[in-house]
Amino acid sequence: MFFHIVLERNMQLHPRHFGRNLRENLVSKLMKDVEGTCSGRHGFVVAITGIENVGKGLIRDGTGFVTFPVKYQCVVFRPFKGEILEAVVTMVNKMGFFAEAGPVQIFVSNHLIPDDMEFQSGDMPNYTTSDGSVKIQKDSEVRLKIIGTRVDATEIFCIGTIKDDFLGVINDPAAA
Amino acid sequence: MQMSLVTDSPVHSSSSDDFAAFLDASLDSGSSEETEDSDQLETQRVKRRKVDKMENIEELQDPTSLPPSLEQTAEASMKKDVCTHPGSFGEMCILCGQRLDADSGVTFGYIHKGLRLENDEIVRLRNTDMKNLLRHKKLYLVLDLDHTLLNSTQLIHMSPQEEYLKSQTDSLQDVSKGSLFMLSFMHMMTKLRPFVRAFLKEASELFEMYIYTMGDRAYALEMAKLLDPQREYFSSRVISRDDGTHRHQKGLDVVLGQESAVLILDDTENAWTKHKDNLILMERYHFFASSCHQFGFNCKSLSELKNDESETDGALVTILKVLKRVHGMFFDELEGNLVDRDVRQVLKTIRKEVLKGCKLVFSRVFPTGFQADNHLLWKMAEGLGATCLKELDPSVTHVVSTDAGTEKSRWAVKHKKFLVHPQWIEAANYLWQKQPEENFIVNQTKNP
Repeated sequence: MFFHIVLERNMQLHPRHFGRNLRENLVSKLMKDVEGTCSGRHGFVVAITGIENVGKGLIRDGTGFVTFPVKYQCVVFRPFKGEILEAVVTMVNKMGFFAEAGPVQIFVSNHLIPDDMEFQSGDMPNYTTSDGSVKIQKDSEVRLKIIGTRVDATEIFCIGTIKDDFLGVINDPAAA
Repeated sequence: MQMSLVTDSPVHSSSSDDFAAFLDASLDSGSSEETEDSDQLETQRVKRRKVDKMENIEELQDPTSLPPSLEQTAEASMKKDVCTHPGSFGEMCILCGQRLDADSGVTFGYIHKGLRLENDEIVRLRNTDMKNLLRHKKLYLVLDLDHTLLNSTQLIHMSPQEEYLKSQTDSLQDVSKGSLFMLSFMHMMTKLRPFVRAFLKEASELFEMYIYTMGDRAYALEMAKLLDPQREYFSSRVISRDDGTHRHQKGLDVVLGQESAVLILDDTENAWTKHKDNLILMERYHFFASSCHQFGFNCKSLSELKNDESETDGALVTILKVLKRVHGMFFDELEGNLVDRDVRQVLKTIRKEVLKGCKLVFSRVFPTGFQADNHLLWKMAEGLGATCLKELDPSVTHVVSTDAGTEKSRWAVKHKKFLVHPQWIEAANYLWQKQPEENFIVNQTKNP
């Protein structure tokens, strides 16, 4: 799920950035530092949308660096247990398949794939129903339900299932 | 009781309360000390989620408080939670999503980071996979890289006579045609063994193939790219030393295949102490000088001689024939249920035919006082189907000797028996065929 929230961060800035462009430098450094990172609490920071305010800078003794407390608005993405997500399949093997929804890696075990879908090996491994009408392979898009999440400092892992109503393939690249 | 709770509120979705809790915590304050707190809350919730269908109603009534019914939950989970946790991904059970301790089961890092499986699950996967594979008339084949399929050297270890190779490397743009590659970003040069491409192509029709190397992961993947640029043979089945469960050992425990259906191709027997019966030993491929020195040969390397193994008659050609024979025998000649057949038995049978009918006597091969039937050569000869004797008798067909002057050697010459060098046995072992005896003549030693 996406959230638009306000976060705060203390930014250290080198004195060479001081001057007319100080604010711009601060913002671009903030974007570089924060966008694409992951925090256990808020999930994945997708984009910074605006700066709320920049506090008073504090000069550090000895180094000359200045610390600014910056409040910024950003869009974060965090998966929740029970959430329905759409994801792209990245790898299919006999244990199940791996899929990605943006930065989130999701594993769907073959226990949680409907029983009528069977694994087919080969150079394009896939899960297929007995009548061949539905096929999950690399690059398929699937709708799945998250049953477990773990958010690390840098990565988000999820366990998913497609063994439920209205879950499964939503677009098949092979058929297209 | 639980039944009635559910019917009271059948529409509640389990996601909303988690979300509510998150919002709740996040509205309270944004400081970092809160993080731990909510993490704790999270874990408690995770534990509780096992039985979420039963417990939802309470959470709905009071989503902000900590679980009001821990006791009840524990009780319920005793009844309801029969998940055996067959494996984990990112420390979560792959079946129920519950957090697990990190260190149980076998890691399958080569398939995906953070994936672990328990033994029961591995057995289950092997069984289902086996059926699938047999239906396609395939077996498993585990391939070693260095000295088996290719030979690599560090650039700094190249001898002056090998410098010419640097101008003969093939383009990395289209690796599917070349065989000599300079990987400057890894400071390496790699030569693929002649015939390897045809070998992989043909073997892939009979086997599901794995790469298993003692090199590190980055190297293994790079080599896989050279051997299999289209990723049609190995896909993610590339195992490096980082993925094994024992140091300096290779094991089939990380291979998702029934041991009775796995063949291994490797040049190092010692790496596979537990799976010798599955192993087909390869003659080492030494192309570069550094690789020769590493194994203590002081001769000129193939690269220095500007030579190479034969494309049409090299080691891989020979082994491919053996593989085809094993495959054919496994599927077409054996009696009984497919699942009960054992490729190790087949391998043994085929090996036994190599020197079938030969009766060997050894002379000046084993050190004095050494128990002869414990010696490697003795065992090798027996494995190849020969009979080994300690004393001469008229039925003996071959005398294996390092010296033509010994009593037994002279006896052989006198009675028109074959007198061969021990290498004759080794060659038969590598080539899976009895070699012409006249190529392994024993030299007269000068001393009387």
